Amino acid sequence: MKTLYVQGNTWLHRLSPGLKLGGLAVFSLLLFATRSPVVLAAAVFLAGAIHASMRFGVVRTWQQLRVILLSISILTVFTLLLNGPADALAVFLRLVALAVLAATITATTSTAEFIDTITAGARPLERIGLVKAADLGLAIGLVVRFVPEVLARYEAIRDAHRARGLKQRPLTLAVPLIIQTLRHADEIAAAIDARGIRGQNNRKLGEGS
Amino acid sequence: MATRDLVLAALFAAIIVALGLVPPIMLGFIPVPITAQSLGVMLAGVILGAKRGGLAVLLVLVLVAIGLPVLSGGRGGLATFVLPTAGYLVGWFFAAVAIGYCSERFVGRSQSALVQVTGFFMAAMIGGVVILHGLGILWLAYGTGTGLSTAFLGDLAFIPGDILKAAIAALAGRAVMVGYPLLPQRA
Amino acid sequence: MDIRFEQAEARFEGRTVLHPLTLTLTERRIGIIGLNGSGKTTFARMINGLVTPAAGRVTLNGFDTASDGEQVRSAAGFIFQNPQNQIVLPILKEDIALGLTSRKLSREEKQAEVNAVLARFGIEHLADRRVHELSGGELQLAALASVLVTRPEILIMDEPTNQLDLRNRALVEKTVHSLEENVLVISHDLDLIAGFDRVLLFHDGRLLADGEPPVVIDRYRTLCAA
Repeated sequence: MKTLYVQGNTWLHRLSPGLKLGGLAVFSLLLFATRSPVVLAAAVFLAGAIHASMRFGVVRTWQQLRVILLSISILTVFTLLLNGPADALAVFLRLVALAVLAATITATTSTAEFIDTITAGARPLERIGLVKAADLGLAIGLVVRFVPEVLARYEAIRDAHRARGLKQRPLTLAVPLIIQTLRHADEIAAAIDARGIRGQNNRKLGEGS
Repeated sequence: MATRDLVLAALFAAIIVALGLVPPIMLGFIPVPITAQSLGVMLAGVILGAKRGGLAVLLVLVLVAIGLPVLSGGRGGLATFVLPTAGYLVGWFFAAVAIGYCSERFVGRSQSALVQVTGFFMAAMIGGVVILHGLGILWLAYGTGTGLSTAFLGDLAFIPGDILKAAIAALAGRAVMVGYPLLPQRA
Repeated sequence: MDIRFEQAEARFEGRTVLHPLTLTLTERRIGIIGLNGSGKTTFARMINGLVTPAAGRVTLNGFDTASDGEQVRSAAGFIFQNPQNQIVLPILKEDIALGLTSRKLSREEKQAEVNAVLARFGIEHLADRRVHELSGGELQLAALASVLVTRPEILIMDEPTNQLDLRNRALVEKTVHSLEENVLVISHDLDLIAGFDRVLLFHDGRLLADGEPPVVIDRYRTLCAA
């Protein structure tokens, strides 16, 4: 899977992910507190300047923002029709500013940095016994590891439908896909336990074939 | 949490991600394509129950937040969380937990097929329609500054599709339960 | 190495899958054979505590598999039938490093251990590869590396050559024979275990024959012909 991260060594790349996420949260709170087009336009300019200073190039910027801009356009038209042009302008400027800054942070923070930050954030929850912070990295790794496998299985099931001349229905595609995928859970879990990856006391004893 | 539960949640998250990458499926009887990803969210609750289903969806949301384009149409990154439509995204988690919670209570292995499918359908409607759209409307109204009633109007267009998905999720949930039972059972 | 079964019995969903068994294993290379469903996988899983006895006890080097899980699992590595399910992180070197989590090692030390085990199986070039792109033979070697990086005393393998083509089968056979660790291999591949020190034959959850490979393999052939 390709991430939206763009390799680099700008000041934003070097900034701690916690600080970046905090900054984004504050930025978004401030933007939702105002409806002044002047302030919002200034925010768009600020976010745009930060993004431009990364020097990603026009092509990459377009890839990063394309889908989001489409959603923003739909929402702007929606607001324009229902609430009039003043509100629509505020919505448009606010969302563009937020989306540009958010996409820039996503582009300058690697997956590994994010996982470390989330794991660190989960530590307090670990102390009260809610989750094990280390499990989070493992779980994220597992998902990324098995997506291609699920896709391959989906294609095999779809091909089997074609070969047998069956119509492709959500039900007959999804059910075998889910059962075939989840069936592997026992052995994957046994392998994780056998390798001692999660340490003691996580195992349900006495199961096997 | 047992390793097996962690693995089940991760595998289901992988299924939800994969369903976002496959082309939309056409239904035989209506000319509307079904985006399979939100169906996957309902299925997580119906098949895995509240705890593991909620974790599966949470993992998908974490992947989105850390910049992987795992949502249908290749969407991802923090920008998806700052849009007024983010309520539908964050709502997935609450929907999956609610669907799982209701499924665990409504559906038992000894019931007849009809009762099981009805139970799953009710659960999917409560979580996947009432709670998900409720949250989505609130967030949309706040994010765009329009009133609740206008946000509700905009939302209405998506309700029929999700009712249909709830029905598919109910049938699929029961089929998986027969083939590979995982749903925690409660009295 | 010393594995002891003392009247150990395994049940699954109320059914006895391995009848009470008493034996001691100290040989360096042990083969396990038997028909599908004969209890051989359960037997192997009992050695590292993945299945704990419903009655009796199993010890590895004096550690009880039911109570000393951590010691038992660090002494016994396990290779599963489908290496696909054994490798749990997307990039091979990350996955191999995962086995070292519980040890207090620095990043550099971990890196060195990972590189050493990759070099041992001649798969250094696969370090940064995505796991789902590896071929069957590469996956089996990768699974070996991911388990042996923790330096277990004994390696338990469940049908390591099962899903491989002839060339990869020969590669894995050669690798198994060259391992310095103690090995216990479940296999339908009779060539693989022919040169072993001891072979056990399971049938219907009981140990049917136990001894030198030629004798036990002969017994197995007779059983299959009957």
